[in-house]
Amino acid sequence: MNSALTLPSLLLIPVLPLLLAIALMLPPLRRFALWFAPWAALPALVVSLLMVPGVSVELPWLLFGSYLGFDETAGVFLFFTALLWLVAGVYSTGYFSESCSRAWFLSWFLLAMAGNLGLIVAQDMVLFYTFFTLMSFASYGLVIFQRTPEALRAGRIYIILAVLGEVMLFAALVLAARAAGSIEFVAVQSALAEAALRDWIIGLMLLGFGIKAGVIGLHVWLPLAHPVAPTPASAVLSGAMISAGLLGWLRVLPLGELALPGWGGVVLAAGLLAIFYAAFVGLLQRDAKTVLAYSSISTMGVMTAALGLGFIAPENWPLILAAILVYALQHGLAKAALFLGVDMVTAAPVSKWQRYLLIAGLLLPALSLAGAPMTSGMIAKYLLHVQAASVASFWAGWLQVLLPWSSVATCLLMARFLYLVWPRQRAGSVVVVKTRMMWLSWTVLFMVVVLSPGFLPFSAAEGLWLPEKLAGALWPVVFAGGLAAVIYWLAKHGKWPFHFRIASGDILLPVERVLWPVLHAMMLRSYRTLFKRRFLLSIYRRVGQCYSGLVFLLEAGENGFRRWAVGASLFLVLVMIFMFLAWQIIF
Amino acid sequence: MYAINWDVWLPLCILASSLLPGLLIFFLPEERVVMRTLLNLGGASLKLVLVGILIWGVFNGHHYEFRFSLLPGLDLVLRADALSLLFVALSAVLWLITTVYAIGYLEGSPHRSRFFGFFSLCVTATVGVALAGNLMTFLLFFEMLTLVTYPLIVHRGTQEARRAGRIYLAYTVAGGTSLLVGTVWLYGLAGSLEFTSQGFVADLVTGHRVELVIIFVLLIAGVGVKAALLPLHGWLPQAMVAAAPVSALLHAVAVVKAGAFGIVRVVYDVYGIDFAVSLGVALPLAILAAVTILYGSVRALFQDDLKRRLAFSTVSQVSYIVLGTAIVGPVAAVGGLVHLVHQGVMKITLFFCAGNLAETLGVHKISEMDGVGRRMPWTMAAFTIGAFGMIGAPPMAGFISKWYLGLGALEAGQGWVVPVLVGSSLLNAAYFLPVLYRAWFKVPAASWPAERSFGRVETSLALLLPPLITAFLSLLLGLLASAPFSPLQWVRFIITLEYVP
Repeated sequence: MNSALTLPSLLLIPVLPLLLAIALMLPPLRRFALWFAPWAALPALVVSLLMVPGVSVELPWLLFGSYLGFDETAGVFLFFTALLWLVAGVYSTGYFSESCSRAWFLSWFLLAMAGNLGLIVAQDMVLFYTFFTLMSFASYGLVIFQRTPEALRAGRIYIILAVLGEVMLFAALVLAARAAGSIEFVAVQSALAEAALRDWIIGLMLLGFGIKAGVIGLHVWLPLAHPVAPTPASAVLSGAMISAGLLGWLRVLPLGELALPGWGGVVLAAGLLAIFYAAFVGLLQRDAKTVLAYSSISTMGVMTAALGLGFIAPENWPLILAAILVYALQHGLAKAALFLGVDMVTAAPVSKWQRYLLIAGLLLPALSLAGAPMTSGMIAKYLLHVQAASVASFWAGWLQVLLPWSSVATCLLMARFLYLVWPRQRAGSVVVVKTRMMWLSWTVLFMVVVLSPGFLPFSAAEGLWLPEKLAGALWPVVFAGGLAAVIYWLAKHGKWPFHFRIASGDILLPVERVLWPVLHAMMLRSYRTLFKRRFLLSIYRRVGQCYSGLVFLLEAGENGFRRWAVGASLFLVLVMIFMFLAWQIIF
Repeated sequence: MYAINWDVWLPLCILASSLLPGLLIFFLPEERVVMRTLLNLGGASLKLVLVGILIWGVFNGHHYEFRFSLLPGLDLVLRADALSLLFVALSAVLWLITTVYAIGYLEGSPHRSRFFGFFSLCVTATVGVALAGNLMTFLLFFEMLTLVTYPLIVHRGTQEARRAGRIYLAYTVAGGTSLLVGTVWLYGLAGSLEFTSQGFVADLVTGHRVELVIIFVLLIAGVGVKAALLPLHGWLPQAMVAAAPVSALLHAVAVVKAGAFGIVRVVYDVYGIDFAVSLGVALPLAILAAVTILYGSVRALFQDDLKRRLAFSTVSQVSYIVLGTAIVGPVAAVGGLVHLVHQGVMKITLFFCAGNLAETLGVHKISEMDGVGRRMPWTMAAFTIGAFGMIGAPPMAGFISKWYLGLGALEAGQGWVVPVLVGSSLLNAAYFLPVLYRAWFKVPAASWPAERSFGRVETSLALLLPPLITAFLSLLLGLLASAPFSPLQWVRFIITLEYVP
């Protein structure tokens, strides 16, 4: 691309959606803006395909002097992010039949889009943070768009965590800027290696961005928010925006600069925990979109683990980064395809070929997520596996062992998802206006998911299609598929004794029991009463209730396990297999 | 014919551009609306032009000073240095906007001549405070500010307003006395009160350290009353009973800002930052400011009255300026000083919007604000920008201040400030975001408490344009913080003067 075009085209990426969002809010321009709004991500997509990486432009007047740029990381992120926003935007034209609600939805959508696309081309911390903030606050409008009680609850949780994340990032970025004497990413990354308060900065960054990325413990908003948002918004929330937190880590953390085994261990362990914990909780969900949200947490766990690997082995970082990029790309595309697919099922497949497409369209992205052979998911898993195998450390060993099992977990989740989403009876009454646009955008996304293994330019993937490697990727899918079939058969014949359930939001539930009454009391009463004995007593009682609630939950879990000896032992067998394999690898 | 020396007369003209219209307006009969409006807007515009010339002149190396001997050794000095320009420019711009707003707000209400007369005098006093070249002149205008603001606060004449006025007088007169005692005592020790960058006390006084600490406390307490520093802030939430333009002026431009500006003057140009540190008074001041920041925010959480919530928010936000001044370091000082401008622009937006809600819909309480964003989208859009600025979200102006404060605190080795800033951001979010949620996402009640219709627009243009302009400014000052002639750049220039050895 011509260098004179660099600045305008980079600027256009966030500015176009921003301008369209403003135009949508102005009644005289609304009709006009509605025409263009779904296509607002198109320039970004074009830039991601045409621009040569390695450019950077200074905007000296903006904020503290900002930098826009385009490098390889930005290229990958921009490609799948822009594609998802574009597809979701076009999809929304069919999803919202009413133009008024479409305009409202699209104004939030475009604001979040401007933030998400802008932060990818930002090359300094302050500009990144600015776009990140825009995205965070605008997505609140998407989360609570439906105004149902669930949406409002999800919105409350989301905004509290988002604000916490914002302030943690503020502290982290100020500390980093002070340590580096600069706000440019390049300078910051290398300066952080030497910084006196390095551990504080890294910790705050991990937590601050971790809220967006759904790190275990901070993931609670995800399974609440992603399902309640309108489908096009769920697709970008779960496919694109979740990766923005990951990008934040990649940009600022001193990865590849020095070895930080302590942080590496913590991050890797958190990632591993997320993979299996989220899969376990996700399997117990009864809503298809919630299952997908838990699957996102699980997949982000893999990427978090890869990040931890980067801390442990800085010399391998370029290749680990490549693996993470492929992973983020394939997860984004596949997850968005699945989210849109949830809707497509209810949009009543009429003709026969549409029905075939629907089956394939749900199955293939699901298989890609699970890393089945011949998918981009397999490439991602393979790249990561090679890296994990080449690092000699306790946690890297665990990662190597557990990675195939993460495929099993994902595969089980996908089976659960397909089971939940599959129409029980012939839908026919649901008529969605303009389904053509929905079909179009979903088909495009589906084609990209299918074809993506072909255009991934990673040399490490050469020789990937050899039979033994394919077999390595195949067995988790077959194993999980078999397991799922057995469970389905058992359940169908009423021999499935396990009806244990964890509500979505899992560990949030006991917290909420204390949080809401306290916040509610604070908002209603004057601050003087807060320190009065009666009020303190009531809080004390609340905490007591929460404690007994927790005890109850544990006992219920205990009972569930006792009743369900067979199923539980299956899970335990899985755990023991991990242990055994780990034992072999490490010692 | 003598050629008039503008370098001497320009500061005086700037004062006169609001003093004379103010005095004339007192004698205008109530119904001369056009004449009064002309005088008001003419004076405000003229002042803006003159301030523009002043800035241009200072930039081109002119030295503006007006000196008039009151007593032997005690001069009335008006001088335009870099610091005073910042405050003069702020008050000139915001006065013009507030005047437009006040004209729209008070349309048809009684005693407008009295109101606008004092309104002009109030700005005159503020500009005097800004241009004062020594502590004596500062004191004079500071006291004048106290007196001319009182009629504005009690303007409505209700029992509540009179009570607020009494409380205001009790606080500020006590503060004025403290300032007077401190000034006289200092004059006795130093023999001069002339502001100099990097302070005059260190050069003129040897020894007397204990006295100097006591004088510092007296001076800070004197100006701290207006800046609403912690134990002295009680008057400010009471004074919010005044009309919206008065609150806007009080919180953003005149009174509170004069107090904060006074603290900056005392620390920098009377004591000098290095000397203040060697006296050991800077750190306690910083801690007091930090406590005020958090305390004000906590109190704001529990207010249902919108203007009261904003008032407690002011208590908190103005202490950013004090904090930035008292953390010893140029970067933090930039953060503090630039917040003088940023807080002004953001807070005036919020008060304008609160006034619009009250005037148009009769909405005074946050609990009545459900769905108000649908009825008054423009007003609430401006409010939203102001609120996000207060939270310190980028790219609003408030973020720029907060960033510099955080960076400066770390540079000065005072890392404890960062958690204070984080806590303040959290609290600000906790008391602004629920308001925004109500306004934008809740379903409006069937009817508003006292709705007035303005045809196709949501409220009268004179009420709507000022908050839109200031909201735009709060966005622009943050977004283009590094553009030439932005407040941030100007403040950086000031700080190089204060900190160069």
